Amino acid sequence: MHDKKTLKASEMFAMVTMLVGMKLTDTTATLYAQKSQNAFWVMPIISFLVILPSFLLLLFLLKKYQDKNLVELLESILGSVMGKLLGFFIFISSFLLIGLDSRSHIEQIKLLYFPASPNTVIFFLLLCIVFLGAKKGFEVIGFASKISLPFVKISVLILAILIMGEVVWQRIFPIFGSGLTIVLTEGVLKGSIFSEFFLLTIAYTSLRKTADFRIGALFGAFFVLFEIVFFFFVYTTVFDYNSIEKISFPFHDLTQFVSLGDYFTNIETFFMVFWLLAGFLRFIIYIYLLTWIFGAIFNISEFEPLLLPLSFITLVIGMIPDNSVVNETVYRDTLLNYVTPLYVIFPILLWGVALARGDLKKQ
Amino acid sequence: MKNFCKIIFIFILFILLTGCYDKAELEQQSYVIAIGLDKGEKEGTFSFTFQIANPEVGSTLSAGSDEEAEETISITGNDIVTATNTANSFVTKRIVLDQTKVIVVSEELARSEDFLRVIQSASRTPQIRRGVEMIVSKEKASDFLNNNDPKMEQRPHKYYQYMLNRAKQTGIIPEADLHRFFQITEGDADLFLAIYATTEKAETEDTGTEDEYIAGQIPQEGGNVTQFMGSAVFKEGMLIDIIDGQETRICNTLDKTMGMEELLSTYPDPIAPKYRISADYSQKEEPVIDVSYNKKTNHAKISVTVSFNLEILAIPSMIDYAQNEKNQKILRKSIEKNLENKTKELIQISQEEYGSDPFYWSLYIRKFFKDIPAYEKGDWNKKIFPNAEIDVNFVLKRLDFGKMLNDSNLNDVRD
Amino acid sequence: MARLLHSQKSNKKTPAKKETLYKDAKQNAEEIKRLFSHGTNEDFISRELIAAFNKKKVYLFFYSSIVNSNSIEEFVIKPLLEEEGESVSDVITNKDITQISDYQQAIENINNGKVIIFIDGDDNGYGMEVSQFQHRAIGKAENESVIKGPKEAFTESLYVNMSLVRKQIRDKQLITELTSIGERAKQSVILVYVDDLVNDEVLENVKNRIKNIEIDTVRNVELLEQLIEERPNSIFPSILYTERPDNAAAYLENGYIVILMDNSAACLILPVTFWDFFHNPEDRYTRYIFGNLTRLIRFLGLFLTTMISAIYVALANFHSEMIPPDLLLAITAARERVPFPLIMEILIMEIAFELIREAGIRIPNPLGPTIGIVGALILGQAAVEANVISPIIVIVAAISGLSSFAISDVSLNYSVRISRFIFILAAGFMGMFSLIGVFLLLFMYAASLKSFGIPFFAPVAPNYKSQGDTLFRKVLRAEIWRPTYVTQKDIQKKKKN
Repeated sequence: MHDKKTLKASEMFAMVTMLVGMKLTDTTATLYAQKSQNAFWVMPIISFLVILPSFLLLLFLLKKYQDKNLVELLESILGSVMGKLLGFFIFISSFLLIGLDSRSHIEQIKLLYFPASPNTVIFFLLLCIVFLGAKKGFEVIGFASKISLPFVKISVLILAILIMGEVVWQRIFPIFGSGLTIVLTEGVLKGSIFSEFFLLTIAYTSLRKTADFRIGALFGAFFVLFEIVFFFFVYTTVFDYNSIEKISFPFHDLTQFVSLGDYFTNIETFFMVFWLLAGFLRFIIYIYLLTWIFGAIFNISEFEPLLLPLSFITLVIGMIPDNSVVNETVYRDTLLNYVTPLYVIFPILLWGVALARGDLKKQ
Repeated sequence: MKNFCKIIFIFILFILLTGCYDKAELEQQSYVIAIGLDKGEKEGTFSFTFQIANPEVGSTLSAGSDEEAEETISITGNDIVTATNTANSFVTKRIVLDQTKVIVVSEELARSEDFLRVIQSASRTPQIRRGVEMIVSKEKASDFLNNNDPKMEQRPHKYYQYMLNRAKQTGIIPEADLHRFFQITEGDADLFLAIYATTEKAETEDTGTEDEYIAGQIPQEGGNVTQFMGSAVFKEGMLIDIIDGQETRICNTLDKTMGMEELLSTYPDPIAPKYRISADYSQKEEPVIDVSYNKKTNHAKISVTVSFNLEILAIPSMIDYAQNEKNQKILRKSIEKNLENKTKELIQISQEEYGSDPFYWSLYIRKFFKDIPAYEKGDWNKKIFPNAEIDVNFVLKRLDFGKMLNDSNLNDVRD
Repeated sequence: MARLLHSQKSNKKTPAKKETLYKDAKQNAEEIKRLFSHGTNEDFISRELIAAFNKKKVYLFFYSSIVNSNSIEEFVIKPLLEEEGESVSDVITNKDITQISDYQQAIENINNGKVIIFIDGDDNGYGMEVSQFQHRAIGKAENESVIKGPKEAFTESLYVNMSLVRKQIRDKQLITELTSIGERAKQSVILVYVDDLVNDEVLENVKNRIKNIEIDTVRNVELLEQLIEERPNSIFPSILYTERPDNAAAYLENGYIVILMDNSAACLILPVTFWDFFHNPEDRYTRYIFGNLTRLIRFLGLFLTTMISAIYVALANFHSEMIPPDLLLAITAARERVPFPLIMEILIMEIAFELIREAGIRIPNPLGPTIGIVGALILGQAAVEANVISPIIVIVAAISGLSSFAISDVSLNYSVRISRFIFILAAGFMGMFSLIGVFLLLFMYAASLKSFGIPFFAPVAPNYKSQGDTLFRKVLRAEIWRPTYVTQKDIQKKKKN
C-alpha cells in the first residue's frame, strides 16, 4: 500500500497540461502571429503533427524497453557515451529554453502588474518559490498540479465565456493568413513548442504503471493542443491580424479587456491569480524534470540538491537578453527553430538503431 | 534559532513600514476617470486633461465635505503617462489611470494626423484598458470636461457609466471602445465610429424627427448641458465627418458586431403625411449580408437583408392601421421603404464621400481571399467598397399594435 | 538480606522490577507501608485483622480516595471476618481477585484502586478490584456541538469512554487493547480498533510509538498526541482529536484507530487526512443536500478566514485597479485620515481579534459578556471614530475572524489562524505574486505531509478508491467503499445496488 509510486494517469495529465498548456498565455501566440498573421491559430496543429510521430515513436520504444526512462533508454540503445551525449544535448536545449521562457514570464509579470520592481527581484522570487516547490519531489508536484488544475482551467474557461461576445469569427479569413507556405514552414519550424513532451519521458517509470504514463501523456497532449488552438482562435477572432502582431501578451490583453458587468470592470487580477499559480507550477515541473535529466546523465541518483544551482543558472540565462522584445523575437524565436529538428529526429534515430540492432524483434 | 527569529522579526518590520517597489497606499493615489486630449500650442505637443475623482464626495464618512466631486486639470506634454508625472507639480498624489472610463478627444485634434500618435502611445501602457470609450467633443476636450456638470450623479465614473450605457442601448451613439478603434484602424478597412458629444449649444433646427440630431442641436431645457448624440466617423485614424443619431442607428442595425437593445423611433404616416407614427423597432436576428465577389474584376455585389419587428406605440393621426388590412399593408410598405431609403442614402454617402463603410462589412469579403497579401491587394477601402453594388432590403416580420386594438375615433370624441 | 540492606540504604521508594515478595506477610506489610509512606500519606490505609477461615493475621492496604469503601466492607472485610472456607478465593466474594507475587504488582494494584491483602503463612498477596475513581458524569459535547445527532461526549474516565464506544459498535471484532505508558507513574492507554478492518501497519506503528515513549508520566491524550506525532514542528496537525463517541465510532468502522485514556474527555483518531479535519459529524447526519450546503459554507469559511485579509492587502496595496471604482473611492476616503499603513491596520485588527478570542476563553464565565461588549465597542466603534483604523478593516477582520469559527476542529483552527498571518505578510511583500507563491508552497508542503503513512490529501491526491467523502459527500446509499488508503481489508462496505 505504501508503494512509493502513487501517481496515476490523472496526475500525469495534470502535469502535461500545466507544463505545456501555459503556452497559450505566453508570447508563443505573438511569435506565431509575427509570421503568419491571422492564420496563426492553425499553426499549433501543424507543429503538433510534426512532433507527434516522433513522440509516439519514443513512447513505443519506451514500451518495448520496459522500465527505462528517457536517459536509460538513450544509453541502452546508443551506448553509454553516445546516449549521454544526446541526453546532454536535450538537456542543454531545454535548459536554454526554460531560461528564456522564464524571462518572458517575468517580463509579463513586471510589465503588467509590477512596473516599478526590478526584473532581478521578481526573477529571484520566482526562482526561490520554484526551487522550494520543486524540492518537495515529483509526487507532491503531481498532487499539486492535479488539485490546482481544475481551478486554473475553470478560470480560463470563465475568460473564454466572457470574451465570447467580442469574438467575430469572420476574422479568421483570409484563411491562409500571410500565405500557405509561410504558415506551413513556420508551423513545422516551431514544432519545438511541444518539446516538453519529451522531457516528461524522464518520469516514464515513476508512475504507478507505465500505462498510466502513456494514457496521461497522450490525453494531456491532445487536451493541450485543443486548448491552445482554441485560445489562439479566440485571439485571432478578437484582435484581428493587424493588432495581434503588435500585442506581446494577448492573454493579458484579453483579461484586461473583459469585464464582469458594469461594476467589475477591471478583473484581470482574478485571472492573474490562477495564471501565476499555473506559472509557478509550470516552472516547478520544468526545473524538476531538467534536474532529473541532468542527474540521470551524470549518474547522480540524489539529484534534488542540484535544484538550487540549476535554478540560479536559469536566472543567469534569463537575464542575458537586454529586453523582452529581443528575448522574444530574436533569442526565443531562433532557439525554437534550431531545437525542433533535434526533437523530431532523435526518436527516429533511436528507432533506427534499435531496429538495426534487432532489439525490437526480441521482445 | 533565537538569532534567526530576530532577523525574521526585523525583516517583517522592515516590510511593514517601507513596503516593496510597487506598494502604494490607496490614499496616496489619485484616480483619473476621464482623460481629455487636445492639440498643444506647439506642433507635436498635446494638452492633456485629467478628470480626477474626489473620494471624499459621496462617501458617508466624510459627510459635510464641501469639496468638489472631481478635480479637472490640464497640462501640456508629449504623451499621457509622462504628463501624469508632470501634473504632480500641482496634484498632490500619484495619478493612476487604471479607472479611466472615457477618453475625450477634441474634434480639432481628431481631424489632425497627430491623433493616431497620441492614442497609440496610450495603448502602450497597461493602465489604459481596451474597454475605455472614445468620445469626440465638438469643443476642446478640456472645455468639455470642465463644463460637464452632472446634477444627479456626482461621482464622475457613475455619470459616464450610466450615461453611455443608456445612450448606447437606444442606439443613438455607437459602441466605441479603444479595442474597436484599433481593430478597425489597424485593419485598414471600414470606418470607426466614435461617440460624439458636446457641452455647447448649437443652433437648434427642429427637424421634426427625434433622432436626426447631432450633439448640441437637441432642444433641451434644464439638466446637464452635455449632450451625447451621433458619431464621429474616423477613417484610417482621422476624423472625416460627423453623422447624426439616426445614421448612427442605421449603422448599429447593419453591423453585427454592434449591440443595440431598443430603438424607439418615428416614421412618416403614409396616409396622413402631416403626422408621424411612433414605433418600437426590434431586431431579433443579425442582418444577413450576402456578398458575391468577382475576382477578375475585383467587384463585389453586396445584398443586405434586415428582418425586424415593429410594435406601434402611437398613431397621432388616429388612422385605423390595426384592423384595416389595406391600411396596414400600406404602412408596412412605407416603413420598409423609409428605412431602405435612409440606409441607401447613408451607403451612398459612404461610398462616394468616405470611400469606406461604417458597417464593418469588410469581414464578409475576407473569405474570398486566400491570404492576407491578396486581401490587401484587393483593397476594400479604395477599390472594392466604393465600386460595390449594394442592395438593401428591410423585411418587416411582425407588426404589433400594443395592448390597444384601436385608437378612439377623434371625430366621435369631439362630437 | 543484602537486598533489604541495599534498599534501606538508598531508601529507594520504587523497587527494581520483579522484586519478589518475602515469605513473611508481616515483613511484606512493613515494606509496603514504607514504600507508600504510611503515616504521612493521609489516604493510604493499612488495616490488620484476623481471618475467620484460617484464624491468621491478614494485612489490608488501599487508597481510601480511589476505592469504594462499601465494596471493601461488604466483599472483602466482612467475608474475611465471617466466612469459613479452604482458601482466600473461597472466602472472598469480590468479582475479581488476582495473585500478587512481586512488589511491582502490589504497587500497581494499589495505584489502580485495588485493595491488596497479605495473609500470614501465604507466599502470595492478593489484589481485589474495588476501585472507584471519581469523574464527571457524561455530559453534552460542548466544543463540537451538533443540532442533529447524538449529544453524548466522552468524559474523563477510560471505562466510561470505552462503554460509550462499544455502545456505538456492537461488534465482537472491536478490540480494546490495553497498554500502559509512563516510566514512573503508569497510565493505561487503550487502543480501540476493529480487528478485521484495521490497517496492521498503522497499528504496529502506533504501538511502537507508544512503547518508545520514555517519559515519566503521560497523564492524558492531549499530551500523548504530542508524543506520538511524527512532525512536532509542523503547522498542520496529524492526529484528530474529538470529544464525540459517535465520531470515533464512525472512524472505527472505516478501519481507523482510536486511542483512549483516563483523564481526557476526548479521544485521538489516526491516521487522518485533511478532509477529516475539515469534516464535522453533523455533515453526515443531515441529508445529502443539506450536509453538502454546510460543507460548501465551511469551505467558503476556510477560504475567507485564511485569505480575505491577505487578499485585501494585496489588492489595496498592489492591485488597486481591480477594486470597483465606488468601493475604491470609499476605501480611499476612509483611509485618508488613518495614520497607519494598510497592512499595519490589518495586523492591528487581526491581533485584536485574536486577543478577544484568547480573552474570551480565559475570562471567568460571569465576566464574559461584559468583556465581549467592551472589546467590540472599543475596537470597532471607538477606533473607527478616532480615525485609528478605517471601517472597512473592521469588516474584513470581522469576516476573517468569524469565518475561522466555521472550522470546528481545534487543531486545524490553529493551523488556519497561523497561515492567515503568513499570508498577510506575504501579500504585503509583493502583492498577489508573493501571496500565490507562498500559498503554493504551503499547499505543496501540506500535500507532502503524511499522517502515519497516509498522504494528507488522500483520497484526492493520490487517488484512492474510497467512499468519496472529501470536499462534498455522496448520497449515503452510494457510499460503497471503505477508504482504501486506510484499510485494505473488507473494502466494500455496502453491496452495489
